[in-house]
Amino acid sequence: MGFQNSIILTGIIVVLLHTMAGQAQDGGDFVTIPKGQYTVGKKGHVLNPFRRVRVDSFRIATRETTNAQFDAFIKATGYVTDAERKHDALVYKPVLQEFEWFNDSTASWRYPNGMIRGGIENKMAHPVTSISYSDILVYCRWAGVRLPSLDEWEIACRAGTTTDFSFGNDTALLSKYANTWHGKDHLMPDSTDGYLFTSPTGSFAPNAWGLYDMYGNVFEFCSGKLKAYPSPTVAHARGGSWWCSPNSCHFFNSYDIGRTNIHASFSNQGFRVVK
Amino acid sequence: MKPLYLFLLLCATTICSQAQDEGEAWKEPSKESRAYHTYRNYMSEPSYGKLKILGLLKKLTPDEDDNEKLKQSDYLSLTLREKFTYHMMHGESYSQNCDARPPIQDEHKKIFGRLPEMFGENNWSERQVQFLRSNKDSVMQWIKECVAKEKRLGLNLKHAIVDINAREMIPFLISTYKTDKKDHDILTVLMLLMKNNEYKEFMVSTSNKKLYGDEINSYDAFLNFNIPNEELIIKRATDFYNGLPK
Repeated sequence: MGFQNSIILTGIIVVLLHTMAGQAQDGGDFVTIPKGQYTVGKKGHVLNPFRRVRVDSFRIATRETTNAQFDAFIKATGYVTDAERKHDALVYKPVLQEFEWFNDSTASWRYPNGMIRGGIENKMAHPVTSISYSDILVYCRWAGVRLPSLDEWEIACRAGTTTDFSFGNDTALLSKYANTWHGKDHLMPDSTDGYLFTSPTGSFAPNAWGLYDMYGNVFEFCSGKLKAYPSPTVAHARGGSWWCSPNSCHFFNSYDIGRTNIHASFSNQGFRVVK
Repeated sequence: MKPLYLFLLLCATTICSQAQDEGEAWKEPSKESRAYHTYRNYMSEPSYGKLKILGLLKKLTPDEDDNEKLKQSDYLSLTLREKFTYHMMHGESYSQNCDARPPIQDEHKKIFGRLPEMFGENNWSERQVQFLRSNKDSVMQWIKECVAKEKRLGLNLKHAIVDINAREMIPFLISTYKTDKKDHDILTVLMLLMKNNEYKEFMVSTSNKKLYGDEINSYDAFLNFNIPNEELIIKRATDFYNGLPK
């Protein structure tokens, strides 16, 4: 019996350790993801097939980078963003058809959807937007941080799950976790979840590892390339945004990987950092 | 020994289940499906000043900012027809962050709710769309001339028809479709015109609900291609056209 009991106990310990492996720890602004092997991707997804990946330990921000943080960077460096130089930020305004964006020459991170729709004075806790991937790399160098790789972002987003969302496969639960677009189309503004554009970071429920806004709010740029898009001018972002609706950009999930030009600035694109 | 047996069985089951998940291979679309994918992404190249436009596009080799927009002076020097050629061959603006769609199974057997993308990471800018809309009559004529020459209605021409809301072209679209009934995206254009104009008979239809309903991802949504669906779309579009103010 003693031998049997010790085997059973060993088995229980092994199962517990297996369950704990890969669970993030910490608290505060960053969460540590332990070194190890994780499952990413989705069966049948051409860009992101279901597979195992191994990563080193990394620390990922619990929230998306805010206007306040970007403001500190601008004040310290005097950096001028792509959209400010080129006056080509693309923004949302009501009555646009699906997938249409308005090129507002007044839009930049200070006025994410153009001057007429207001500045960020009262939105310093919102994620910074209307910045390009190219701008973000400069910010990261200044702040001593980096973007997550495509795999790191997904590992953090999934929080140990293999389902479409970290909370399972039920899209109806998304509104608890994410600031997305609830309207049928984009002809009329939609703020049924309390927000027309971005929300302050952390306004919705976190995933099991304490990470907020992994779905919705803003697309989050990642480092790394996909084989299908070797162009040096293409960057990849993940996680969906406030603009994304079930009827158009069905992108608020754990597996999709988007692509856009490294100098494109949209009012639904932002980032979170890793260190 | 029973508890140990159960524990080992649990582990074996877990491992087996993981192996099955990871071992499931991606199914490549059929040869017919892939051929139709290439077919439906064909882009027309209008002949008006085509060589001149190609020369200008070469000058657009991205600089450090990856500028993709023709200088205003160069743009203004183009004739209306040359501008049309330029717009059909080049998207000046950035596309939003969208993923590449996974390969579609049996693409040739489907009538989609939306058209494929045109220019990858780029799209038409506002000045380009504005030009097309402001010169709607001419654009419709140039599209017809282009189709007469190429015997195809390219993806860019289809997007232009939808963007300028060329519902006047419905008879032309139907006759073009009927030449070989191969290009199902022409049926998509007909449905987009009915949807965008909120044609009542279409708006209350099962097709509309299936393609553009509230709870589905309409970018991927499709109707099965079959004769009844084909005929129904053409009949509805014809009725819609006949009811337009003349």
